[in-house]
Amino acid sequence: MGLCHGTLTAIPSGPVLDHRTLRNGSSLVTAAIPDAALTCLDFWCRGGSAWEKSGEEGVAHFLEHMVFKGSRSLGPGEFDRRIEALGGSSNAATGFDDVHYHVLVPTAESNEALDLLLDLVLDPALEQDSFCMERDVVLEEIAQYRDQPDDQVLQTLLELCCAPHSYGRPILGWETSLRQMDPAGMRRYHHRRYRGANCCLSVAGSIQEDLISHALSSPLAQLALVEDCDPAATNRSALPFRQGRECRRFARLEAARLLMVWPVACADDQLAIAGADLITTILAEGRRSRLVQKLREELQIVESIDMDVTTLEQGSLVMLEACCPDDQLERVETEIQAELQRSLSAEITDEEFQRAMQLVGNGHRFSLEAPGAVAASVGSQTLWGRHRDLLAPLQDLLQWEASSLRDRVMPLLQPQRSFTLIARSEDNS
Amino acid sequence: MTTTGVLSAKLWIRRGSSADPCGQRGGHQLLASVLSRGCGPLDHLQLADLVEGCGAGLRCDTHEDGILISLKCRDVDADRLLPALGWMLRQPHLDEGQIELERDLSLQALQRQREDPFHRAFDGWRQLAYGRGPYGHDPLGIPVELEGLQREHLIELAGDLESLGSVLALSGTIPDQAYERLEEWLGSTTSQTNWQEPEAAFSHQSEVDPSAQSSLSLQPLATEQVVLMLGQAALPHGHPDDLALRLLQAHLGSGMSSLLFRRLREEHGVAYDVGVHHPARAAAAPFVMHASTGVDRAELSLDLLLSSWSELIEISLAEADLKLAKAKFRGQLAHGSQTTGQRAERRAQLRGLNLPDDHDKTCLNHLDQLGANDLRDAARRHLQCPQLSLCGPLDTLESLEKQWSLSGYAAGSSHG
Repeated sequence: MGLCHGTLTAIPSGPVLDHRTLRNGSSLVTAAIPDAALTCLDFWCRGGSAWEKSGEEGVAHFLEHMVFKGSRSLGPGEFDRRIEALGGSSNAATGFDDVHYHVLVPTAESNEALDLLLDLVLDPALEQDSFCMERDVVLEEIAQYRDQPDDQVLQTLLELCCAPHSYGRPILGWETSLRQMDPAGMRRYHHRRYRGANCCLSVAGSIQEDLISHALSSPLAQLALVEDCDPAATNRSALPFRQGRECRRFARLEAARLLMVWPVACADDQLAIAGADLITTILAEGRRSRLVQKLREELQIVESIDMDVTTLEQGSLVMLEACCPDDQLERVETEIQAELQRSLSAEITDEEFQRAMQLVGNGHRFSLEAPGAVAASVGSQTLWGRHRDLLAPLQDLLQWEASSLRDRVMPLLQPQRSFTLIARSEDNS
Repeated sequence: MTTTGVLSAKLWIRRGSSADPCGQRGGHQLLASVLSRGCGPLDHLQLADLVEGCGAGLRCDTHEDGILISLKCRDVDADRLLPALGWMLRQPHLDEGQIELERDLSLQALQRQREDPFHRAFDGWRQLAYGRGPYGHDPLGIPVELEGLQREHLIELAGDLESLGSVLALSGTIPDQAYERLEEWLGSTTSQTNWQEPEAAFSHQSEVDPSAQSSLSLQPLATEQVVLMLGQAALPHGHPDDLALRLLQAHLGSGMSSLLFRRLREEHGVAYDVGVHHPARAAAAPFVMHASTGVDRAELSLDLLLSSWSELIEISLAEADLKLAKAKFRGQLAHGSQTTGQRAERRAQLRGLNLPDDHDKTCLNHLDQLGANDLRDAARRHLQCPQLSLCGPLDTLESLEKQWSLSGYAAGSSHG
């Protein structure tokens, strides 16, 4: 046996945050991780697919692609070359509520990276030729997802329970809507969403001395001062949800799936989200959780069973997914329903409660190491007006007791309140 | 409540799926999966209570070259949890019922993997490149052999777990006097270890001679896209030419400035996901370009992959591209050592592959000595015989098969 040490790095407490609101309503937040060799710059915008109007389906994500095709001052590919020549990397992601663009660079290069990132995101070229080429890439991306049965099942479920709300349609949009788009329409969307109050820059890692003053005089500060007046922005708990149950068949499915989804609180209600995290951990996180122990360990009728909380601004979703042989589906559904119903009255034991507190709490503690993860967490919270310490979720957990979890959260996750999708293979029909 | 001291422990055991005995492919994975299902003084439930009760993460992954046990916990729980690593390594219960459960879960996981066309394409490529050699099967195993694995087989494999030694790497808030307490946590070894010097690490090459094998694998599947994988079993990690191939990987497939990204995505718009798969291995590692594309543009995509491959051998990189590839390589090392888990895993991996702790630093020091011609020459030595695996609709595969036969790399084909 050999023993070797990695670098000695302790994190005595969460990174210290510094929040600023600029005159135009945009936000700047820094999370100092003094020992980090890299700095992450993460630009967030309230510009996810939920903000698309009729005929714009897919534009938020397509715009994210187009941003990387260059700005009025950065030629095609120049941003990527320059960031990667600095020893950095970049990427972006579009969600239902928001979109973010991030670069990770050695700390000494963060000023230059900031200039490049803001120029690229706030002043995209959106040229016709590259628009057509990139649309082909997005269509290939859609085709790639269509070839993954897992994604097909999930998308079907969201459509069945959330449509016509935007959470019920694919973030990537539809082929028809994408083919009807043009650069002018995309620019209108950019102008509408990428403006002061909708934007936040998050920086995590080692913070260079002059980075904040540099950011305060950057194009972020030049964005138009317009408050967000879209009704959806203030109507955050308006997610319509259809309860029910359906069976569908899918091509090339090698294992049957049972999915259940429930609507829970919107992201603003962080205390309720903490409760949902604790309950899903008690039910389906680890071998000692109720559903895993019963269905996988004792009855041995599922290959896997998971529950997750997807935190969303207009209403979060709790999802359960069980993978099992086709001939076990009926029994799996019966057992899950029985366990959820039993949990309405069964006491949550001290062991179960403490175990969930530790698992959820450590999930938060363990996520504070890498600048990229910290910048994403801080940026998404600040974007939506939640100026909270990174370890604030630990305080939320302490507000819950075993009895309040059972009495207030478990009733939300009952079979009759869910939408259930039974997914079987076409090949078995 | 504000303490966030974290400890990551990685225990690398130098016995992976490449050491699966004949007829027992999947043996090490099955063994690894039951190590945490009862060991030392704890049965499977007691161990789960201990680990989950601390809110810790404990997992056991089987790779081709080794089994990696990963523990992540708060520093205050380290004393209670670290001994579990020793029990898993040296005192596994190998309970019959738990083996049966894990075997069944592995068989179902193998079945479910078949949904992914990328997985099918890689399976096809792996068969072409490694055949029945040590890297020729998924670490999860082969269903028919997995079904036959019994407790006595696992007892035998467990007895050999330390025959090539193991490495524990700790990162984060490390307990005091870690060296002195190693035996307290892990117990003492019961088997003879065989520590190899670094130069012995790349002594065993791929057992398959690509020139004597098929060069094409077809996996027909009713999908919209075709997945293309073009690559070769190349070099062990730490080989004198490994750094040159790592730079070629950075040039071809790392980041949005990479050649494949620019050529397939930005210039032709034929694919979304493109890249190069080139993991660190003890023996000849895959060096595989991959892309997925619509059927109507599959021929163009294959052309682009083939020309990109040929250029590696025929043309020296431009100085600007070489400089960029080196910057990316430096960046990758920094990006890959951000968390305690990443740092511990890299240390464990290096020692696991019998490479020195300062291997990455040595590579950085050697970077400036490598010129564009060195990279081209390394490609000529090690990337002359790529093999192609395709997964997608049959009629498209057949037309691509004709195209491949005219490419100059073709030697034969096999149908999945």
